[in-house]
Amino acid sequence: MRRPPNLATLALVAMTAASLTALGCASHKKVSTTVPPPPPAPTETETTAPPPPAPPPSTTEETETVTSLRDAYFDFDDASLRSDAKTALEGDAKYLESHNGSNVVIEGHCDERGSVEYNLALGERRARAAKEFLVSYGIPATRLTTISYGKERPFDTGHDETSWAKNRRAHVVSK
Amino acid sequence: MAAGQTEVRTGVTAKGNVKSPLFLERFRADPSIQGLANDAHGVARHDFELSGVFAVADVEPLQGKLMPDPTQSGSVRVEGLVEPAGASAFRFTGEALDIGTAESVFKRVYLSTRTDLRTTMHRFNDDLLEALTGERGIAETKLAFIRQMGRTKEVWVADYDGENARQLTHDQSLDLSPAWAPWGSEIAYTTYKRGNPDLYLFDLTRGASYPFSTRPGLNTAPCYSPDGKWVACTLTRDGNAEIYLISRDAQTARRLTRNERIDSSPSFNPAGRQIVFTSDRSGSPQIYTMDVEGSNQRLLTLEGKYNDSPQWSPKGDKIVYASRHDAIFDVIVMDATGQNSVQITYQAGHNENPRWSADGRKIYFSSTRSGRRQIYVMNTDGSDVVQLTRGEESFNPAVGPRPKRRIAQASSG
Repeated sequence: MRRPPNLATLALVAMTAASLTALGCASHKKVSTTVPPPPPAPTETETTAPPPPAPPPSTTEETETVTSLRDAYFDFDDASLRSDAKTALEGDAKYLESHNGSNVVIEGHCDERGSVEYNLALGERRARAAKEFLVSYGIPATRLTTISYGKERPFDTGHDETSWAKNRRAHVVSK
Repeated sequence: MAAGQTEVRTGVTAKGNVKSPLFLERFRADPSIQGLANDAHGVARHDFELSGVFAVADVEPLQGKLMPDPTQSGSVRVEGLVEPAGASAFRFTGEALDIGTAESVFKRVYLSTRTDLRTTMHRFNDDLLEALTGERGIAETKLAFIRQMGRTKEVWVADYDGENARQLTHDQSLDLSPAWAPWGSEIAYTTYKRGNPDLYLFDLTRGASYPFSTRPGLNTAPCYSPDGKWVACTLTRDGNAEIYLISRDAQTARRLTRNERIDSSPSFNPAGRQIVFTSDRSGSPQIYTMDVEGSNQRLLTLEGKYNDSPQWSPKGDKIVYASRHDAIFDVIVMDATGQNSVQITYQAGHNENPRWSADGRKIYFSSTRSGRRQIYVMNTDGSDVVQLTRGEESFNPAVGPRPKRRIAQASSG
């Protein structure tokens, strides 16, 4: 068996390899170490709660007769309950109190940004946060099941904050 | 100057972006099968270019004998001869000559059916790369991925270059996160086909899948240990996402992480002693490593607010991951120590799901650069980006191992 050619020296004789390499290196970017500060205005899409979709017109807090289940909405990469989410879940708790035979599934959903796997875990946290709220309100845990769909079952398939805000939710549905 | 074989190997595998000239002759054949020879030539050319190792130039076959040209020391000239072997088969002889010395450095004969033309030429590419660089190519490896099919998502399998794509699962459900067993005939994946996100193992030999972990909550993000005895994965049986090792026989489960935040996406180092994973315990997703016992958990990424989807390189020296910066996702390669992170995709949509090829010379990833999410492959420095899937959305690339070595039908040189 004869010796293979010395490919290590080939770079020197390559017609285009050297220039290609130089170009490739020049366009490398180090990962930015200086993250620009977030804008002070409350327009930052990741931290500001978007207005939640309007509740069904028939549902009003004053009458104390909650006739349908509502979803809880979340901020980007966050599973903590915003005040509007707590309001919605309080309504759900009242509904469940007045519909004793009704059990619900709480589906955790995410917007399309980020990996399949991380968003499944994040959706699980959102569903469980909603469940824990309902349990702390007095709803038996046996009536509540959770499942995460991550970013795989979006309600709105758009690619902007309006769509993403609708997709970051704990979706409460009757079994 | 001639160098020892070890030096040759080191020199070529160190940098994927330094390409070696390869002069590829038009394959010789009887005029009656010149079309077949041209097809074989097309696959060989495609494989050499995709290897990231060669700068390919087309040349006509030599009329006489190759004369040594010391100024081109190490450049290779590849010849091919295609001959009929019965009605549906052919014989391919591939030879490589060192232009510096005019000596033959590789010669091998392949018998193939016409149907297996691509497979045979892929093997020729991998054999030649092994002979020239000491590192076998990846043209014989397979790619698994998830494809959106209307409302459902299924596991698909294709050749390493996206060709011959076929639907593997028919779960009519949500299938996600495929991962290859090291022996190459099994794929672990998550499916909702029974309602819960469960882990199933698909046996490619039998063409059937069976449940592996169906615990309440998430059973996701599988990754086989290099020895194939364990599957690392994410379970939420404890209330939030934790990383577990489940033995391949499903008899034993060991919990590795314990905290109130998300731990997910485990990937073994090639020695099987350490695991790199994502955790948002600091408030946002970052890359961590730990020993396989769960000890010595430490933060690896020092830059970026949002880092996810890590995978250890086949040689163990690098880790690739996806980083979100300025609302865009890009692929980053860093040393396994967490140092020297280099962004290798830029200004081309969102780039995620990075996965090393079996030889570590390539990185597969998903990108929205052409609109819908599709799977691409590139060199480890980000050059030579090639789109591998088209049509319906495709993502979650998973690269299979090299097939077990077999003895070539005939060989010399």
